[in-house]
Amino acid sequence: MLNFAPTEEQEEIRNLAQSLASEQLRPRARDAEKRGDISPELMQTLAQTGLTTPFPEAYGGSGPIEALTYTFIAEELGFGDGGLAMNIIGSLMGPLTVALAGDEHQQKHYIPQFCDQHQGYLQRGSLAFAERSGGYNLADIHTTLRLQGEHCLINGTKRDVIHGQQSNLRVVLARVEGTTGPDGLRAVVVPTSLKGLSIKSDELKLGLAAAPSAVFIFEHASVSGTYVLGKPGNGGAIRAATLYQLLRAGVACGMARAALEYARDYARGRYAFGRPIASYQGIAFIVAEMAMKLDAARLLLWRAAQSWDQAENGHEGYHTYVREAEVAQYQAVKIAKSATLDAIQILGGAGFLQDHPVEMWARNAAAME
Amino acid sequence: MIDFTLSKSQQANRDYAHQVALEEMRPISLQCDQTEEIPESFFWNMQKRFWAGAAGQARAQAREENEPGQGSLLTVLSQEEMAWGDAGLSTAIPGPGLAAPPILSNGTPEQQMKFLGPYMDGQLHWGALALTEPGIGSDVAGMSTTAVLDGDEWVINGHKHYITNGARADLVITFATVDKKLGREGILPFVVPKGTPGLIVGRIEQKMGLRASQTAELIFENCRIPKENLLSGREQSKKAGFKAAMGTLDATRPMVGALAVGIARAAYEASCEWIHEELPKGYPAQKRREMEAELEEIRQELEMARFLVWRAAWMLDRRIPNSKEASMSKAYAGGLVMKATAAAVRITAPGENSERKLFIHKWFRDAKVFDIFEGTAQIQRLVIARRLFPEVDIP
Repeated sequence: MLNFAPTEEQEEIRNLAQSLASEQLRPRARDAEKRGDISPELMQTLAQTGLTTPFPEAYGGSGPIEALTYTFIAEELGFGDGGLAMNIIGSLMGPLTVALAGDEHQQKHYIPQFCDQHQGYLQRGSLAFAERSGGYNLADIHTTLRLQGEHCLINGTKRDVIHGQQSNLRVVLARVEGTTGPDGLRAVVVPTSLKGLSIKSDELKLGLAAAPSAVFIFEHASVSGTYVLGKPGNGGAIRAATLYQLLRAGVACGMARAALEYARDYARGRYAFGRPIASYQGIAFIVAEMAMKLDAARLLLWRAAQSWDQAENGHEGYHTYVREAEVAQYQAVKIAKSATLDAIQILGGAGFLQDHPVEMWARNAAAME
Repeated sequence: MIDFTLSKSQQANRDYAHQVALEEMRPISLQCDQTEEIPESFFWNMQKRFWAGAAGQARAQAREENEPGQGSLLTVLSQEEMAWGDAGLSTAIPGPGLAAPPILSNGTPEQQMKFLGPYMDGQLHWGALALTEPGIGSDVAGMSTTAVLDGDEWVINGHKHYITNGARADLVITFATVDKKLGREGILPFVVPKGTPGLIVGRIEQKMGLRASQTAELIFENCRIPKENLLSGREQSKKAGFKAAMGTLDATRPMVGALAVGIARAAYEASCEWIHEELPKGYPAQKRREMEAELEEIRQELEMARFLVWRAAWMLDRRIPNSKEASMSKAYAGGLVMKATAAAVRITAPGENSERKLFIHKWFRDAKVFDIFEGTAQIQRLVIARRLFPEVDIP
């Protein structure tokens, strides 16, 4: 039955994430951009909230949560700072993929280190998704996995892999050679030193500099079959890839909301010709348009997240939720890009300066592609 | 909990409306548009379908499923389907129509019974809402129609136009000012029954689209109605009347948005069908891919528009203030329907003249007014902006 109200529990989690975003992420955003990473202190603070350890309690995690709830958290983090949000989520996707796709043995092996109360907060994970052939859609994944007896050969190139360089758990999305469509997708853990894999850090990035990333080049890299997560056809790779899309969409909505609110506040206080610029329709309508399109994209995201959650309960196959997640991601990134650029426009010359965060936000949004 | 799935009664309501659209509207759509006339049989069929059978059943099922207060949601679900059938015809379905929201929001229980009761008698009745005046659209506060109390009667004088079903309505809810100096506080809603001396039907407009829908001019010349036909409001605030006018718009904008979504969907579907069935041989593959990409974008926007409409209606049912969300739904859907119908015209232009093209051309003509009535695209943005900047005066 149609309903647009979050549950009380979701509201509580959202409030927690929001205060974290406003108090911890937003003030540290510029520093993180310059440093090119999150600070260990902030990682520790985050770990204490339990928001970054949604793993089974048996492994020391705070327990799995629904995708819908996770999109709330992602939006708040993105509202705080898109770069830090992608840093956090990029790391999370490593162990999350193991939780979604891996068998019990693999989960036991890889996940507990991320839940360790003392050292776990310094661990990084990573999920290699996008390639030279496109963006963050399942159909863009062309890195191949050739099954050869007990081993598999990986070939292909991955770009913008967040934490690709320093990750303790590298997971790669690849396709079984010769397959088309989502059924052929697999998630593979990459051993620490692997012959045939070269990793090169990205430098001088346009945006999302707070989320360090790298390029992976696989040339006949051979790994044992035990590194492939889960049983063939368990759909885990699809689950993980689409959850990443949903979280990226959540971050994008948060980026757009940050831009909307920042531009709104600025337009209230900035006077021109004796009136706040918000009182001019030429400005006010831009803000109205931003708000309208953001709401539209967010509703699309919520629906996609609901479908993802329902599919887990066996309600439907993956075709629906894959399509919905990709559409939600596309529309959310679209509004993030336009809202952040519009925010610069509303701030005028001030928006072009680094005194305000909007120029960084516009670069971050553009780097979501 | 956030949920985008329809309940059984919501789905049943939507399915039923779709069936009506398919069986009763599409077959006569082009003819009614060309002649600007609707066959009497259509009215009777609609009367039977909506006032005797299904509507009552849907209400009963909603009670059974313990789903109280979902009137607006059920309305927008069926409005989208009917506009998919024919938006012009859907405005002509017998019932109180736009007269209902102000009676429900501003009438006493006795007034609601008195004015809405007769609509249940199995006969053909309509209602209308007279708000717009020549020179006064969304600037409701500047209204010049007057109401003066003379003993036990109100005397109404003024000129209203663009009134849907104005000439056939049994009741016209007329907004008029009791004192121009009071501005918006002086505006109150009155119930003027058909046949009241001094209520004169002026011209019936000829329009670009929605031609099956009757748009009338009404003139009030010393039109006298009983004192108790003032919808005095359950709340005795001074601004009750103005609030009723604005509250009406908060209720009707999501419905207009739903109609726009229905037309946009019809145009989208026809465009897809044309590409599959009629694309001329040798049509460049690159151009086809471009069209398909454009239609995919429209499909996504259709979903977003629909969700904005659903949310605004859901808020209305829960009595959550929804001015901003209602305007968002109307503005977004109004823009989309223009985009979708214009795309359909362009995409199918190389094709042979067929019934499909006639429909598409009709929908294009129908679409434009969705960027205009119930507040233009610009007014919607103004409403949204005023909610985003409550402390800033945006003239």
